Amino acid sequence: MPRSFSILAVILICCPKVVCGVDAAARQFDETVAPILIQHCLECHSGTDPKGQLDLSSLKTTLAGGESGEAIVVGEPQMSLLWERVDGDEMPPKKPLADSDKMILQRWIQSGAKWGTDPLDSFRFTTNKRAGYDWWALQPVGDHPLPVVQNDSWVRNGIDHFVLEKLESSKLNPSSPADRRTLIRRLSFDLLGLPPTSDAVTAFENDGRPDAYERLVDQMLASPHYGARWARHWLDVARFGESQGFERDKIRENSWPYRDWVINALNVDLPYDEFSKRQIAGDVLYPNNSHAIIATGFLVAGPYDEVGQSQQSAAMKAVVRQDELEDIVSVVSQTFLSLTVNCARCHDHKFDPIRQREYYQMTASLDGVRHGSRDVQLMLDDGLAERLEAEIDDLRIELGELDKRVRLRINAAAVGDALPDAPLPRASWLFDTGLDDSVGQLHGSGEGNAKIANGSLVVDGKGSFVATTLLVDDLREKTLEAWVKLDDLDQRGGAVMSVVSLDGGLFDAIVFGEREPGRWMAGSDTFQRTQDVGGAVEADAKDRAVHVAIAYHSDGTIALYRDGKPYGTPYKSSGPLTFSAGKAKVVFGLRHFPPGGNRMLSGAIEAAHLYDRALTPIEIARSAAVKEAFIEAFNEAITPAEQKRRVAIQAEISKLATAIPRSKNLSIYAVKPRNPGVAHVLLRGNPATVGEPVAANGIESLVGLEADFGLLAEASDADRRRRLAEWITEPTNPLFARVIGNRLWHHHFGVGLVETPNDFGFNGGRPSHRELIDFLARELIHRNWSVKSLHRLIVTSATYRQSSRYVPASAAVDADNRLLWRKSPQRLEAESLRDTVLSVSGELNQQMGGPGYRDFETFTKNTQFYTMTDPVGPEFNRRSVYRTWLRSGRNRMLDVFDCPDPSTKTPKRAVTVTPLQALTLMNNSFVLRMSDRFADRLQSEVGDDVQDLVRRAYQLAYNRNPDEEESNDAVSFVAAHTLSDFCRVIINSNEFLHVD
Amino acid sequence: MWTKSDSVALDRRQWFDWVKCGLGGAALTTLLARDGKLAAAVVASEASDPPPHHPAPAKRAIHICLTGGLSQVDSFDYKPKLEKLHGKSLVSDDRPDVFFGKVGLLRKNDWAFKQRGESGLWVSDLFPHLSEVADELTVIHSMFAETSNHTPATFQENSGFRLNGFPVAGSWLSFGMGCETDELPAFVVIPDTRGVPAGGSINWTNGFLPARHQGVIIRSRGTPIDDLFPAVEKTPQLERDSRNLLERMNRRHLASRGVNDELAARIGSYQLAARMQVVVPDVGNLDQETAETHALYGLDGKETGDFGRSCLLARRLLQRGVRFVQLFAGGAFGSPRINWDGHEDMIRNHGREAGRMDKPVAALLKDLRRTGMLDDTLVLFTSEFGRTPFAQSAASEVGKGRDHNQNGFTTWLAGAGLKHGISYGSTDDVGWKAVENRVHWHDFHATVMYLLGIDHERLTYYHNGIKRRLTNVHGHVIKEIFA
Repeated sequence: MPRSFSILAVILICCPKVVCGVDAAARQFDETVAPILIQHCLECHSGTDPKGQLDLSSLKTTLAGGESGEAIVVGEPQMSLLWERVDGDEMPPKKPLADSDKMILQRWIQSGAKWGTDPLDSFRFTTNKRAGYDWWALQPVGDHPLPVVQNDSWVRNGIDHFVLEKLESSKLNPSSPADRRTLIRRLSFDLLGLPPTSDAVTAFENDGRPDAYERLVDQMLASPHYGARWARHWLDVARFGESQGFERDKIRENSWPYRDWVINALNVDLPYDEFSKRQIAGDVLYPNNSHAIIATGFLVAGPYDEVGQSQQSAAMKAVVRQDELEDIVSVVSQTFLSLTVNCARCHDHKFDPIRQREYYQMTASLDGVRHGSRDVQLMLDDGLAERLEAEIDDLRIELGELDKRVRLRINAAAVGDALPDAPLPRASWLFDTGLDDSVGQLHGSGEGNAKIANGSLVVDGKGSFVATTLLVDDLREKTLEAWVKLDDLDQRGGAVMSVVSLDGGLFDAIVFGEREPGRWMAGSDTFQRTQDVGGAVEADAKDRAVHVAIAYHSDGTIALYRDGKPYGTPYKSSGPLTFSAGKAKVVFGLRHFPPGGNRMLSGAIEAAHLYDRALTPIEIARSAAVKEAFIEAFNEAITPAEQKRRVAIQAEISKLATAIPRSKNLSIYAVKPRNPGVAHVLLRGNPATVGEPVAANGIESLVGLEADFGLLAEASDADRRRRLAEWITEPTNPLFARVIGNRLWHHHFGVGLVETPNDFGFNGGRPSHRELIDFLARELIHRNWSVKSLHRLIVTSATYRQSSRYVPASAAVDADNRLLWRKSPQRLEAESLRDTVLSVSGELNQQMGGPGYRDFETFTKNTQFYTMTDPVGPEFNRRSVYRTWLRSGRNRMLDVFDCPDPSTKTPKRAVTVTPLQALTLMNNSFVLRMSDRFADRLQSEVGDDVQDLVRRAYQLAYNRNPDEEESNDAVSFVAAHTLSDFCRVIINSNEFLHVD
Repeated sequence: MWTKSDSVALDRRQWFDWVKCGLGGAALTTLLARDGKLAAAVVASEASDPPPHHPAPAKRAIHICLTGGLSQVDSFDYKPKLEKLHGKSLVSDDRPDVFFGKVGLLRKNDWAFKQRGESGLWVSDLFPHLSEVADELTVIHSMFAETSNHTPATFQENSGFRLNGFPVAGSWLSFGMGCETDELPAFVVIPDTRGVPAGGSINWTNGFLPARHQGVIIRSRGTPIDDLFPAVEKTPQLERDSRNLLERMNRRHLASRGVNDELAARIGSYQLAARMQVVVPDVGNLDQETAETHALYGLDGKETGDFGRSCLLARRLLQRGVRFVQLFAGGAFGSPRINWDGHEDMIRNHGREAGRMDKPVAALLKDLRRTGMLDDTLVLFTSEFGRTPFAQSAASEVGKGRDHNQNGFTTWLAGAGLKHGISYGSTDDVGWKAVENRVHWHDFHATVMYLLGIDHERLTYYHNGIKRRLTNVHGHVIKEIFA
C-alpha cells in the first residue's frame, strides 16, 4: 500500500540518529578520540552501572568524573586522573594503550577536551569484547578481484583463486583430483543423498567427453532427489517438526505440504530471494497462490504451547506468546541473516550491534504471525499456475489503465455537468484495482483471502477483511455508505463497513442480519446505538449490488438508507460516538475486531464512502444516483474499441482464473495471521513491564541498507511482513546472500567458510576465506539468485574435486583442513545412511511428496503418546525426509547418528561415534531386514556363485570390485554363514558410511 | 531378569549364550572375571573448560523427578497457621492467578506432621518411610517456578528453560563430566512403569548438545536398552565372525585412507558395544541382590514393587559408573491420574502416589548410606511446582483438590557435600509463596552443579550465537546448605 508523504516526513524528522557536530574540533574528536574511548574504555565505563561510577560515554558524565574524583581537568593532562591511569598503563587493565593512542588522548585534554557526537555510540567500533558497526559481516559485500596465484593451471574457476592463494601463502599444495569413481560417489551423496547406480558409475568412467563431469553435475542437479536431499538441510535450520511439542505434542496432520514446498522449490530452482520472501510473507505477497501460502509454514514450523495458550492466567499467556515470538524472531534472523537478534530480548545484544528496541521492532514485524491451520485450494501444476497468475496480473493492470483513461475523459468533459452534484466524502474506496482511498489517506490492506475481483472487494465470510490505516482526524458526526452484493441473504452479523476502535471495543457499522434476519441495521458495541428500524427484508442484494448508507447526526439521530431512499424509521441514539484520530480505523467485511465468528461478511463490496458529517436525505439520494449516473457516463465515454477490449479482458481473466488447476480444499499448517496491534518494548523482556511502542523496522547496523520500513506502529500484518521480506532480500543486504553461500559451502565441504552458519556475529566463527564469501554472494546475485547455479560453481571447482587422501605434511600445518588442501571425508548423515541402506537393498520407494510415512503408533494414555515401531512395507521404505517428524517421537536409529531434536534450529549437525551406533547397526530390525533384502537382490541379479555375489555386493555398496584378499575373506564368511549376514557386515562397514 | 523382549522369552542358559555371543572368547572371560566391576576406561568430558572447577564432593547424582506437582503443605512444609485457617478465605493483596482459575477456601494438610529423627525436621505421615531417614535430608522450602503450566515447568525443572529444545541437566552432566565407564551411557532415564511423562523424550533431550548426550532409557522390566541384541536371534559364532570380518574390512579401509580418528573410533565402538552386551544385562540382573535388599526396596510389595525395582536398578547403575540417573515418579497428565496432579482429591491422589515410592526412596537412601555411596552421590527429589494451600473449588467451598502453585514449593537433596537434617528458606504462613531465601530453578541447578564440581558459569556450549549454559544467564549457588 502506498503510504502518505506526511507520514514519511514525520518519521524522517523524528529519526533518532544523532546529528554530528560540524566544527573541526568535534570532527577531530569523532575521528581520533572517540574510537579510542569506544574500543578501550566504554566496555566498563558506560551503561547503568559503570565501573568506578565513571561514565565516559558523554561529555557531561566524563566531566562529572567518578568515585576517584574528576577524570579530566581540561587543558591539564598531568592533573587529569584519566591521563594518569592511561599513562601509567593501569588503564585499560591488562591491555595498555599504544603510545600513539596515548598521545591522542593527551593532546585532546591539552587542547580543551572538545567533544563531538554526544553521547558516544558504543556500537560504533568493534572491541575485543563485542562487534560494532564496523564488524566484517555487516559491511557491504565487496567486489574483490580474483587473487593472482602461481599454480594457475590448477585453477578451474574463481573459487580456486581464493582457495589457492591462501594455500600458497601457507606453503601448502592442493591435492590432486580424485578419481572418477570417487567423484561420482561424492557428488551423488552430496547432491542427492544416495549412492550412484553401478551403471551410472560405469558410464561416467567411460565418458571421454571433456565436459563429462559438468554433464554429470547437471544431470544430478536435475534429479528430483536433489530437492529431497537439500530440503533436509533447510528443514534442520527451520526447526521443522510435525507435532506441537510441549505437553500434548499433538501431531500436525497438515504440516507436510511445507516440506513438499521446500523440496519442490529447490527442484525448480526458485530464486533464493523469492524462496525466502515466500517463507516470510508468501500469503500476503501472493494471496491467490496456494504454494506461497504453504511456504509460510516456515514461520510456524516450531513448537506451539497449546496448553499454555489456553490457560486461565492472562499474564502467563502473555509470556507464552512472547516466547513464541522469540522462536519466530530467532528463526527468521538466524536463517536469513545469521544474526542472533533473539539475544536482544531482555537487553541490548551483548556481542553484536543490535539494540533491544530492534528486537521488539522485529517482533512487531512478525507479531501478526500465529500458528494455525488454514484451507487453500492447491494449485496443481506449479509452472502452469504461476504462468497463469502472471498473465492475470498483466491483464488486471491493463484493465486498470483502460478504466483510468475513460474516467479521466469523463472528468475532463463532465464535472458538475453530466454527473449529479454528489457530496464530497472524506474517504472513498472504489475497489476497482486496489484498496486505496482515492480521496484521503485511509488506504486499506487485505487480510486473509480478501481480494479485488471484477471491480469489487471480495470477502469470504471466514477470515478475510480489509482494514485501513488509522483515522487522521477525529470522527463524530458521520455517514457510512457502501454498494454491496451479498453471497447469500441468510448470513447473519457480518458488516459491510465499520468504523472501529483498535481493540474492537467500540464501533459503528453497516451490519446485515444480526438482530433480525435479512435486515440492515446500524451495528454498534453491545447494541448501544442500535435499534430495529423496520426496514424491508433484503431481497435484491444477492442478484445485484445495493446501496446502503447510515447517517449519524450530532443529536444522536441515526438514519438508514437503501438504494438512496430512507430504510425504516430514523431513531434517536445515545449520541454520536467520537472516534479519535490515531485510535480507530475503517474495516470492510468485518463488524469489529477480532476477526472471526459471525462478524465476517460474505459478499462483494463495489465501493464505499466515509463522510465526516451526517448527509441529508437529498445528498444521499444524489450519491446513490451518482453511481448509476457514473455507469451511464462511463458507458458513454468509453469508445467501442475500448469497450470491446474491456469485455475481452474480463472474459480472459475469468477464463484464466478457472484454468488454474486447483484441487479441492487442502488444510495446511501455516501462518494464520491475526491483526497484530501495536508492539512495545518489554523492559527486561517481561510482558508485565511495557515500554515504548515500536513500529516494524529492520536492524540499523547493516551497512548500506535502510532499516526504516516507513510504517506506523499500527501498520497491518501484511504491510509489516511484506516490508520485512523486502528488507531481508534486498540485494544490498550485506548478510542475506553471504549467509546462504556459506550454508551451501558448509554442506558441500562439511565445514562452512564461517563455521557457525547461523551466526555471523562476534560469538560466531571468523571466516576462513572472507573474500571467497563475498565472491559466492556476488555470484549468487549475478546468477539471479539461482541456488543450483551456485551449487554448480562450487562442485565444479578444483577445490571440490580434490582427493580426500590424508597428507601428513599438510596436516602438520593445517590439521583441520580449514585451508582446504584436500576434500575432507564426510560421514553419511542419518537420513542418507537409511536411504542408502534402502537403495542398496533395492527397496527404496521413490515416491515423492504427500503425507509422510509413520514409524510410530499413537496411543492415548491421558495425553497422546507415540510408540516407535519398525513398520514393514514399501510405503515405509520412502526417503527419510518423508518421515513424519514428531518432536517426542524420535527415530532411535536416526537419532544415534546425530539426527537433531526437531525443536532446535540446527545449522550444523554434530558427528559423533558411539557404541549405541554399533548396537543399532548390528541389531536393529530394520538393518537385519534390509540385509535380507540386499541378499535377495544379489541373488536375483547374479545367481548363486558366491564370488559373483560378493563382487556384486561390493559394486552396489561401494561402487567398486573387491580385490582378491577382500573377495576371499568374504567368500569364506558367506560359506560359513549366510549372504544376508555378509550384507549386514557391509552395512556396518566404515566404507559404507564414509564418503571420500 | 531382563529378556530380549517380552515376546521372546529365553531361559537362563540361552540368555547366557546370547550374552557371550557379543564377544570374542578371551575378552568375555576377562570381563566376567572382573566380577561386574568397572572396566577402567572412562569417557572424557567434552567441555572446553572441563570440570572439576573446584574440589567436588559428589561424583554422580540420582534425580527422583515427581511429575504433576507435590503438595508442599501436605508433605514437608508444615504450616500450623493453615490448620487454624482451614475453611477461611485466603487474605492477600493480590488475587491468586491459578492455572484453572478456581480459588476455593484454605484447606489444612491432610496428613499429620511430626518432627522426625534427631534433626527434628517436619515430615508428614504422607511419607512414613522417608520420615525414618529425615536426618539425611536437606530440604529447600522456598522454591518458586516461572510458570504453573506442567510441561514448560517440567522443562524448566530439567533444562532451565520453559521451551522445547534445550539440553536437560543429565545431558549437560554427560557433556561436562563424561562418564566413569564407557560400557554404560552417562545419562540414564528410568520412566515410571505406568508411562513416560507428557512430552516423552523431550524431557531427556540433548537439545543442541551432540546426540550422544541424550538420556538413554533403561527399563526395569522388558528390553533394557533398545537394540542391545539382534532383533532376530543370531548364533554366538556368527556374531564373533561378523565382528572379526567387520574389523578386518575396516582396518583395510583405514590403512588405505591414512590417519582418520573417526574411522579408528568406529572400529573401537564395536568392541565397546560388545562389552555393553555383557554389562547391561548384568547390571540389570536384580537377582544378584540379596533377599534382604529386595525386601528393603519393597520389591515384593504390590504397591512398591515397580518403583522399588527402578530404585534398585538406579543404585546398580550408579555403582557401575553411570553419571546421572533420572527416575520419573509419575506419568502423563490427564485422567485417570497417574501422577501427583491432585486437582480433584488430594487424599486419594497423593496417598496412592506416595504409597508407590515412599518405601523405595527411603530404601535407596538407606542403601546408599550403608554402602558408603551416599558420601559421593547426590540425591535430588523435586517436582515441577507445588500445590496451592487453598482448594481448587468454588470460592465458598473447601474442595478436596489443590491447583498448581508456582509461587512456593519444596524440594530436597541428600548426600554428598550437604548439611543433613536441615531446611533452607521458607514460605509464608500458609505455604503459598516463598518469602525467605527464595530459590529459582537456576539457583537449584547452580547448586547441584557446584556439588558435582562444576562452576555453572563455566560449563558452556556455543549454539547459534550464545555460549549456552544450564542456568541461562542466572543462577546463584546456595552455599548455606553445604557441609
